[in-house]
Amino acid sequence: DGYVQYERVGADVTMKCGSMDWDAAVIWTVNGTDINESRLNGSYLVLKNVDLAQSGQYACYEGSSWHLKYQTSLRVGTPPREPVLMCRSNNYPKGFYCSWHLPTPTFIPNIFNISVIHGTKEMVCEKDAVPKNRCHITYLQVFSTVKYKVTLTVTNALGKNFTTLTFDEFAIVKPDPPESVVAKPVPNNPRRLEVSWQNPSSWPDPESFPLKFFLRYRPLILDQWQHVELSDGTSHTITDAYAGKEYIIQVAAKDNDIGTWSDWSVAVHATPWTEEPKHLTTEAQITETTSASTSSFMAPPTTKICDKGAVVGSGAVAVCWTAGLAMATYSVLFI
Amino acid sequence: MAGADSPSAALRRRDLCARGIRLVGKMRSDVVDLLDAYVEQQGLDASASVAAVEGVPLAAVERWDEQTGTQRLLENLAAYRAFRALLAQMLEEQREQLGEADAALGRALAAVLLQVSAFAYHLEELLRLESRGPPSEEEEDGPPPQPQGLFEQKLRGLGVLRELAQWAVRSARDLRQLAKPGPGASSAPSSAESP
Repeated sequence: DGYVQYERVGADVTMKCGSMDWDAAVIWTVNGTDINESRLNGSYLVLKNVDLAQSGQYACYEGSSWHLKYQTSLRVGTPPREPVLMCRSNNYPKGFYCSWHLPTPTFIPNIFNISVIHGTKEMVCEKDAVPKNRCHITYLQVFSTVKYKVTLTVTNALGKNFTTLTFDEFAIVKPDPPESVVAKPVPNNPRRLEVSWQNPSSWPDPESFPLKFFLRYRPLILDQWQHVELSDGTSHTITDAYAGKEYIIQVAAKDNDIGTWSDWSVAVHATPWTEEPKHLTTEAQITETTSASTSSFMAPPTTKICDKGAVVGSGAVAVCWTAGLAMATYSVLFI
Repeated sequence: MAGADSPSAALRRRDLCARGIRLVGKMRSDVVDLLDAYVEQQGLDASASVAAVEGVPLAAVERWDEQTGTQRLLENLAAYRAFRALLAQMLEEQREQLGEADAALGRALAAVLLQVSAFAYHLEELLRLESRGPPSEEEEDGPPPQPQGLFEQKLRGLGVLRELAQWAVRSARDLRQLAKPGPGASSAPSSAESP
C-alpha cells in the first residue's frame, strides 16, 4: 500500500522504486499516466523544484512484468505561516469565542491547537462544529482584572507556527449588530423617518447589561453620514431628512460601559413621506362646499390657481378672477 | 416598616437601584479619568500588570448570575467600605507630596472618595430595605499596613483604582439585577439568611 509523502514547494524530490536496484528497468506513472524517462535517474524518479501541480498519486512498476513495486501520494505544500487569531465576547457575561485562520493556504492538512490561560488556570476552549476554526469558552468568573492569554499553534507535516493573544475581559466585549432594523416614513411629515431595531439575539441579558446604540443615516445621493448616539431605547425619529430623498440607515450597538462597538447592521432604505400631487379642483374649492362644484371644474394643467390672499402679478390675478368666475358659474348650474 | 416584598418597598428598591446605578456610572467615569491622571502623574506604565494587592477587594466573581440580591448587596458594601479606607489612605499619602499637579490629583481622589462613601451609604439603605440591615463596620478588617517604598505605594494605588473601576462596572449590573421585577431578584436563599 502507498502512503502520503509531504514535500515543500520548491523542493527537489527523489523517489525510489521500492526495493528495485538503481539500474532496474521500471515505469513510473503519475495519476495513471506514464512519466517521461527524462525524469528518471536510473530507476529513481527525480522531481526538481516541485510545485503544487505535481501533487498526485505516483506509482512504480517493474518494466517487464508490470508488477507494482511502489506507490505514494505526493502532496506538495508549505509550512504554516503565523496564524491570525481573534477573540471576542458577543454574549457577555456568558463567555467568549476565538476564531482563527491562516493568512495563506498550505495546501496540506493542518492541525490547530488552542490553549487559554487565565492567570494560572488553564481553561478548555470547546471547538465548534461550525464554523470549523472556532472554539468557545464559558466564563468561570466575570469582572476579573486578570488577563487572558490565548495561544494558537498550527502544525502540519512541513512545519509549525503559533501566535499569542493577551487581553482583558472587558476589552473583547463586542456585541453583534442590532437586528430587525426598520425605517418608515412618518405620515404628513416630509422630513421625518421613524427607525426602530432590536437588541442582537446573541446578547443574553440586555436588562442587566444594557446596550447603547449609534445610528447613521444619509441620503443616497450624498456621501456624508449623519450620526446620532442613543443611550437607551431601540427607536429614534430622524427629523432633518431631505424631503423626497431616499435614505440609507444603519445602527450599531455597544455595551453601556465596556468593550467596543458592533459592526454596522444591515442597511435599510426609506424615503420620507411626500404629499400626493393633487388635482387643481381641490385647491380651487375655497368658499364653495358643494361637492358638485369640486368635481365639475377642471382647470387646464398650465393654469395657475392662486392661493387665497396671495399677492401675485397682474396676469395671475386675472387668472384667479377668471377661475373664480367660472367656479361660481358652474356652482350655480349644479345647485 | 414595610416588608421587604411590599409594593412600596419594591418601589423604594427600584428607586434606590436607579439612583445607585446613576451614581456608580458617574463614579466609574471619574475613576477612569483619575486612573489616566494617576498613571501619568506617577510615571507608571498603563499596561503594567499589578499583582493582587493585599486588602483590595476583587471584583471578580464566580457564578455571578446565580447570586441572590442580598449576597450582591453584602459583597458590594464590604468592597466599598474597603475602598473608602484605601482611598483615604491614598489621599493621605498624596497630601504628603508637594506640587500643583499633585494637588489636582488629590482633589480628584477626594471626589472619588466622596462618591465611594455615598455609594456605600446607598448600599446600606438597600440592605435596610431587605430587612437585613448592614453589618457593623467593626466586622470589616482595617486597611493593610503601609507599603515601605514610594514605588510600592504607587503600584498599590494603581491596583486600588483599577479594581475600583472594575467594581463600578459590576455594581451597576448588580443593581440592575436587584431592580428586576419578580421573585429572586432580591430575596435571600431559602436555606440561609432567613431571620
